[in-house]
Amino acid sequence: MKSFKFLVIALYCAIASCTIDKTDYQAETGALVPQYYEFKEAVSFTSGTYKISIEALNGTFYKGYNELHLKIINTKTNQDVNTSEVTFLPIMSNTDGSKTSCPHLYNLPYDAANKYYTGYSVFTSESTTANSWKLYVSFTADNQQYAISGDIIVEKQSNKNLNMTAFTAKDNEQYVIALVAPQKPTVSENKLTAGIYKYNKPTTPAGTFPDPSQYSYSEVSDYTLKLDPRMPEPSMGNHSSPNNQDLTQQNDGLYHGVVNYTMTGNWTLNLIMMNQNGLILKGTVVPTDFTPGIEGVKSELYIDTLF
Amino acid sequence: MGMSVTAQNAHAGHDSIKNLEEVQVKNATKKKKIETEMKMAVSVDEFLSSSDNISFIKRGAYAWEPLLNNMSSERSTVTIDGMHIFGACTDKMDPVTSYVESNNLSAIDIKSGQQGSLHGATVAGSIDLKRKSTPFGMEKKWNAAYQSGFELNNKQFFNLGNVAYSGEKFVAEGSISYRKADDYYDGNNDEVKHSQYKKFNTSLGFAYKTTDLSSVRVDAIFDMAKDVGYPALPMDLSLSRALITSASYKQLFEEGLIKVIDSKIYFNAIEHYMDDTTRPENLVHMDMPGWSTTYGLVSKANLKKNSYSSEIQLNAYDNLSIAEMRMYPQDRSNRTMFAYSWPWVTTRYGGLSMNNSWDISEKSQINLGGSLGVNYNYSKYVEFNWIFHPGAPQEKTRFLPSLHAGYNLDIDHFNFAVGTGYGHRAPSVSEGYGYYIYNSFDRYDYIGNPDLKNEISYEANASAGFKNERFSLQGKINYFYIENYIIGRILSMGSPMNYQSVGVKGYTSLDYATLLNMSMNASYDILEHLHWKAALTYARGMDDKGGNLPFIRPLSYQTSLHFMHKNFGIQTAVNGDFEQINYSPQYGEDLTSAYTTWNLSANYSFKINKVGTTIQAGAENLLNKYYSTYADWGNIPRMGRNIFTSLKFSF
Repeated sequence: MKSFKFLVIALYCAIASCTIDKTDYQAETGALVPQYYEFKEAVSFTSGTYKISIEALNGTFYKGYNELHLKIINTKTNQDVNTSEVTFLPIMSNTDGSKTSCPHLYNLPYDAANKYYTGYSVFTSESTTANSWKLYVSFTADNQQYAISGDIIVEKQSNKNLNMTAFTAKDNEQYVIALVAPQKPTVSENKLTAGIYKYNKPTTPAGTFPDPSQYSYSEVSDYTLKLDPRMPEPSMGNHSSPNNQDLTQQNDGLYHGVVNYTMTGNWTLNLIMMNQNGLILKGTVVPTDFTPGIEGVKSELYIDTLF
Repeated sequence: MGMSVTAQNAHAGHDSIKNLEEVQVKNATKKKKIETEMKMAVSVDEFLSSSDNISFIKRGAYAWEPLLNNMSSERSTVTIDGMHIFGACTDKMDPVTSYVESNNLSAIDIKSGQQGSLHGATVAGSIDLKRKSTPFGMEKKWNAAYQSGFELNNKQFFNLGNVAYSGEKFVAEGSISYRKADDYYDGNNDEVKHSQYKKFNTSLGFAYKTTDLSSVRVDAIFDMAKDVGYPALPMDLSLSRALITSASYKQLFEEGLIKVIDSKIYFNAIEHYMDDTTRPENLVHMDMPGWSTTYGLVSKANLKKNSYSSEIQLNAYDNLSIAEMRMYPQDRSNRTMFAYSWPWVTTRYGGLSMNNSWDISEKSQINLGGSLGVNYNYSKYVEFNWIFHPGAPQEKTRFLPSLHAGYNLDIDHFNFAVGTGYGHRAPSVSEGYGYYIYNSFDRYDYIGNPDLKNEISYEANASAGFKNERFSLQGKINYFYIENYIIGRILSMGSPMNYQSVGVKGYTSLDYATLLNMSMNASYDILEHLHWKAALTYARGMDDKGGNLPFIRPLSYQTSLHFMHKNFGIQTAVNGDFEQINYSPQYGEDLTSAYTTWNLSANYSFKINKVGTTIQAGAENLLNKYYSTYADWGNIPRMGRNIFTSLKFSF
């Protein structure tokens, strides 16, 4: 009976001992993936009686795709200006003297329902000591042209699901692909949204700085992004998922498709970019073999995600 | 097999050869001590394997998965006193039978096919583990037993103890047990690594007689297994725990149609934590915990009037099954990878079942029964299921009807029975909602399909027997035609997630599959003290293309001699399988060769003062044959020669 008593004591210890807790699935992805749904003022400039306020998610400009809301306020009358032609141009200056831009919307349309001008900017690098970003905004009010510029800081995008890639394709054009959504993917079918932008090579010599014709980008039309998501982790052996859909352009100008993530962790979106005629401009077909222990081969065009 | 043949005429087991006394009780359960003829201290698995229509998938020395009528465990209902319990392991490392111990059970009631629908929807039948229940007011107030034993092959040491108090108004009983085993050795004397286990089990029960004809009873079982190796799997078990509780109220009636109503509410919780840290060869470290929580109600009424008797049972339960997998990258600073293999799947079942029997003459009897159940599933994280089945419903309700009929005839020394049945079953949690469940047998990752149709079984059975004072012979046959037979088929999409895996299989419905089970049993009393028994079983399972189904027992045989005189007994048995000709490469099977094993044991009983004592010694696989059976996962070899000793005291 002594051994039984011992066992009973052991039993109580065992019950009390800790085991693996159930995973808090809601918190599982939230911990690593910041997500922002609130637009806050990121920067404001004043010119005379006019104040320009630019709002971005979380009040911060991040590397990658940024949706922007721009308001022009007459500080005297405290009224919004809504009839103006508004232009928007981001310029990055390098200490070596070079000046470049990034994909952006130059002429901002007015959203009457929400009372702001809408635009976007796909910042291609973070602000560093060598690279500094400046915004050039112009508008007309009271029949007068205003041009304002101001420095901004572009911060690192810590959410890898909003990653971007810039490259030169086979047609010798410069492209940028930036992920727009989802900010916080889940183990599920995720609607995937990306923007594809092309640098329009200037056809005329540069005028007075900043000459928008030198810094023109446009959304490409009717391209296709073929998608093959895989887990790069060697132990996952090039694991992929079923039922993914290639990205095609919708009415909003952005490219929409479906990515299925089968589990959380690091994923690589292997891409092949094709133009209107189905010609491959960038990207390679990746092996589909299951190769445990070997890191998956990536397409020459890819974007990494993590959630 | 008509309904009256409820109790199994338990004969051959194909692994441990032991025979059970033949007991046939109309509409009642077989009452038999949990021991076999060969061995008095057996595990639950060993005991079950002594039944004709039970075979086992074995992933090691512990927690064998019982197959009833050669059908996998999701096709049968396994209950403890009618309580539904579901294992918490996606890889079936913890069948319900692994959460009990032989010293808290009194019997195991096995019913074939739709005759088992009393406990809920089934195709293969039901296995009900009957707990010990001490009656009120026994002459001897205190009863106790203690068993200990040692098995040489895997250095298994076990201690089983139980004690019961029986008062006029109050009954209390408890049991406690501990088993510990090291790795076993196969017939080539090679160690089968990762086959060790430790199991602790205890149970408590209290009953109080509220009136002359009514009583209340509360019961609890706690079971804990630690450091259990599964040599056939790429991972082991670090800990599994089960708490099984119930409270019941029983009312007897002296007059009228209704004789007994017994109602019980129950709760059980199972945790199961797999562990692969013991396997350094694994490329990926994974955590795979699982949880299964069930609460339910079972209420049963027994009716009897003249030649008519009936059982009516209401079953209701709610189960939540959760299983997680978390893979660790080789660079541990990277993000871990997480997914649910059971995405919080709720199963609710409610059903009413009935078994009726009429004695139409002294020689013949008709049985009719059926059940109607409603099965509801809910997948909390249905987005996991949507990856392979976009737009699949999050909730699903199914109706599960069942009917069976049988006719029994006894003429002099002969008895005949015929029966038929029809029944639906709902897909299991894995079949419906499983997500990348790695099956190390065929090395595929399995994906559930929430839209699977109900599996529909049509069965027919018959038996014929002859019996006189010295000789008996009985043949049994049953045939199942199963529509929408659920099985894994290779998917053309997706890629494996588990690194050992070679592809992805989805649970799909075959148009149909057929299964035939046959058995022949004979016994002969050669001399007054010398008895002979033999059994032969055969089964054949085919899919709709005529291909073989997996895990179908080949032709197998068993024969034993039993000599008993006064306090001394000696028994010997030979059993084996023929070559598995009809194997299924499609499902990862290969040809399993024939084998034969020989077992021998002797026991002696005596009294020390008033304490009844039995000692036993014996050997299983006496010739140290190296073999593995058709149902040994990954062809792991079975145990070589195993010399066992045990000692039992009854107070």
